[in-house]
Amino acid sequence: MTDLIRLTDVEKTYTRGKEKIAIFERLSMHIPQGDFIAIMGPSGSGKTTLLNLLGGTDRVTRGQIEFDGKRIDKMNEGQLTNWRAQNVGFIFQFYNLMPILTAAQNVELPLLLTNLSQSKRRENVKTALNIVGLSDRARHKPREMSGGQQQRVAIARAIVADPKLLLCDEPTGDLDRTTADEVLGTLQLLNRDLGKTIVMVTHDAAAAKFAKRILHLDKGHFNEQELAA
Amino acid sequence: MASLFKQVGAVTSMNVRSIPQRAAMSIASIVAVALAISVLLFFLALSHGLSQTVEGSGSNDVAIVLRDGAGAELNSVVTRDQLNIIAQAPGVVHRGQTPMVSGELLVIVDGKKRSTNTNANMPFRGIGPEGLALRHNVHIVQGRMFRPGTNEIVVGAGLLREFSGFEFGRTIRLRGTTWQVVGVFEAPGTVFDSELWADVAVTQSLFNRPNVFQTMRVQMTSPAAVQSLKRFVHDDPRLQLQVLSEREYYAQQASQSTNGFTIIAWFLGVVMAIGALAGALNTMYASVAARSAEIATLRIIGFSGYAAFFGTMVEALMLSALGGVLGLVIAFIAFNGRTTSTLSSGFTQLVFKFELSPGIVISAVVVAIIIGVFGGFLPGIRAARVRPQLELAAQ
Amino acid sequence: MNDLTLMRKNLWRKPVRTTLLLISIMIAFLLFGVLVSFNVAITDVRTAPNRMVTLSKINFTESLPIAYYDRVLHTDGVLAATHMNWFGGYYQDPRRGFLAVFAVDPDSYLRVYRDDLHLTPQARETFLHERTALLVPRNIAERYGWRVGQHIPINSNIFTNGTNGGHVWDFTVAGIFETPDGNSQANSVLIRYDYFNDTITFGKDRIGWISFLTTSATVNDRVAHAIDARFANSQDETSTQDAAAFNRSFAAQLGNIALVVTLVVGAAFAAILLIVGTTMALAVRERTKEVGVLKTLGFSSGRVLRMVLGESMLLSLLGAALGLLAAAGVLYIFSRINGGGGGGGGLHLYPSVVGVSAAIALALGLVTGLLPALSAYRMNIIEALGRR
Repeated sequence: MTDLIRLTDVEKTYTRGKEKIAIFERLSMHIPQGDFIAIMGPSGSGKTTLLNLLGGTDRVTRGQIEFDGKRIDKMNEGQLTNWRAQNVGFIFQFYNLMPILTAAQNVELPLLLTNLSQSKRRENVKTALNIVGLSDRARHKPREMSGGQQQRVAIARAIVADPKLLLCDEPTGDLDRTTADEVLGTLQLLNRDLGKTIVMVTHDAAAAKFAKRILHLDKGHFNEQELAA
Repeated sequence: MASLFKQVGAVTSMNVRSIPQRAAMSIASIVAVALAISVLLFFLALSHGLSQTVEGSGSNDVAIVLRDGAGAELNSVVTRDQLNIIAQAPGVVHRGQTPMVSGELLVIVDGKKRSTNTNANMPFRGIGPEGLALRHNVHIVQGRMFRPGTNEIVVGAGLLREFSGFEFGRTIRLRGTTWQVVGVFEAPGTVFDSELWADVAVTQSLFNRPNVFQTMRVQMTSPAAVQSLKRFVHDDPRLQLQVLSEREYYAQQASQSTNGFTIIAWFLGVVMAIGALAGALNTMYASVAARSAEIATLRIIGFSGYAAFFGTMVEALMLSALGGVLGLVIAFIAFNGRTTSTLSSGFTQLVFKFELSPGIVISAVVVAIIIGVFGGFLPGIRAARVRPQLELAAQ
Repeated sequence: MNDLTLMRKNLWRKPVRTTLLLISIMIAFLLFGVLVSFNVAITDVRTAPNRMVTLSKINFTESLPIAYYDRVLHTDGVLAATHMNWFGGYYQDPRRGFLAVFAVDPDSYLRVYRDDLHLTPQARETFLHERTALLVPRNIAERYGWRVGQHIPINSNIFTNGTNGGHVWDFTVAGIFETPDGNSQANSVLIRYDYFNDTITFGKDRIGWISFLTTSATVNDRVAHAIDARFANSQDETSTQDAAAFNRSFAAQLGNIALVVTLVVGAAFAAILLIVGTTMALAVRERTKEVGVLKTLGFSSGRVLRMVLGESMLLSLLGAALGLLAAAGVLYIFSRINGGGGGGGGLHLYPSVVGVSAAIALALGLVTGLLPALSAYRMNIIEALGRR
């Protein structure tokens, strides 16, 4: 299997006041195409920072990140934004849907960044909502839906532009067990049937089990054995 | 009750202390109220100043005689015969053998407004020999009075301040003859302060109105004598004339001149106040939204919905009161007491001062309070409806 | 769906807030529309550039000998001339407002004001031949309910009618005319000079002023000098100027209206600038997280900036449109109330005012949206989403 993502000697430091805080010092990893990774670890271990770096919403201090053979750490802000629109779908803990838009409109949002025609966009939205099983909720506003439904709309939004990579930040953190399992099942389906590469950050061991493999992150380092596997 | 007061006090002080967090919006609504109030004050002060000047021009014991139905001096005609009859009426004050009456003719001449250098209508009044004595608060402050029978003019100090062309010592050509400004008089706070005076006989002949007066002024022994002169004129069929006390006449003129400005003041003031109210409502809704967690917490502790309501109300009132005060400060600094001029009902320029009165200040304060009450009411209800729920408080 | 949909939906996210903002913007443009239109109506009476007036040098209320008319008419560079007198009239009750009644010489008047009055040939004929004929503009005829052929008594508050000793004259409505937009004759009621001059008890054989056309605006100054020089040092010296300048100086007598209008409108705009600006800033601040999401999805910072600016533009354009609509309504009501009175007749919302309003609305949208848009532009995704 070819690697979708390669991190090489990634260093990430923040300055808070005069203090320098190192999140990663020399982090390297590679994620093959079609993988489904759950990343676990205590607060402050760098999970979310890693997700931000993978999604191009944050920049490395040093080191390289390759995505599909392209160096995203070398891209400027504009290139990175375009790259993100084409290649990455995001799923957040609190869904982050636009309260003013219907489910269908929320899903359509990323397609505004493409050149697709109105009818083609509508078709894609329909397909995406179908995949997450919410065709009947297309005209509902987020506040008219349950948490699980909202998260499924968010998943539809993440996949509608057909990105290679899905990044999930505690996607079930706000959901009850049954609903969480449904959402995770959907992610599994996307990975298995559509070949989406998924990186999911979670606190929840039960959620992590849905992934192909689990990586534990602590103080900026992965458990080496797991990483090698 | 006492406990409600305490609650309101506590909530209010919390609200007020949190205003700086919404500084920009709070300042915006204060300024909006201030601007609305100052526009209202501008026109009310204009209207009041104008009306004070016109009304202040008349005295109770001087009668003014006009053609019946003329309404204003410019439209009036009084003949010499009529003048002579009235001069013999009972109740007319005499100085020695001469009755204190003045037949007068008002014509309009062009002056130049200093601020814009455009032509402006100056009232040029021919007055009789007793004309000066008939006006109680008029003093020559520079030069001297004109001599009867000569082409001499005296000029009002107010007119001189706003208009050029009639400076002391200057010669002016009117109708092919030369006139000289020989004196400056002051008639503070009256319409006369913006007039030019000359001898009536000379004015009549030079302006082609031989033996025609427009009005006559008569010094009566008392205000009551003015009333008896009215009857005297009414009973004489030769006199198709109207008699008014000078005060009555100018009160009428004042209401004609100032009604328009008062309407403009309230139209603009109310319209702008509605705009300011919209701003205040937005600010107060934002305030309630920003404090909903705080309000929920207070409600959990046991504060009542009323306290939340009045807290919001007091905040709104404080903002609008600050706006009102700022508006008053702007008014006092920017225009109160300033001199200006406009076309009076007599079709000539009238110089007057912007003048705020206690009544006007109270109107402004009332408008500001109304903005505050309306601006606080609905947001206050929203605040009172914030439910004492833990999840709200936790946000 | 497109970006405009998003802007629209964002705008109406808080309907109460947006409605309040629209009200305040509407009010500023209402004031702008009404006050500026008033100012335009008073100062910008449209007259041809070659139209001039000769008045008494003392003041325009002083009259001139009728002999002056012939001399002006035969001055080099004068194409056509007519003379007019102010009658100072009202219909039945002065409290219903005064009429701008002018006594004119019919033949020469209809030549000088040929392009100003739209008149039926029959009305023209009647006015040329009937001594008591009266021409009235449509707005005034409608106001008083006058019809052609009707006998109308009109009072003067200046002159006395020698034939009856009173102040009333009888006229017959010869025609109802219309004038082009903003025309100087829009409120003029016209009567014949011969009837007027024969019946008045004083001021006979004198005229109020002479209105004339020059062969071309380029000779205006030369003609003015020639006329005024001719009557210099006489009993009745003259002042000749172009009609537009005279109208302006007449309007200036009321006071510096333009300055007052500027101050009031300025105050209104300053207030809404602050209100709308701070509220837009709050609105964008409240949406911080959504801006973060949009940027995460791949919306560029520039696009986010344009979306915020678009929203504020939408708001101010909508407010301006409502304000101008209200202004048109208010002006219509004023013009109805003030119909025959001095100057209020042709009052309406001028196209130029609408144009300037549109420009102001765009500027307002830009200024109020700029800071919030920039803060959205600069907003960092990680901070916006509160993730680290």
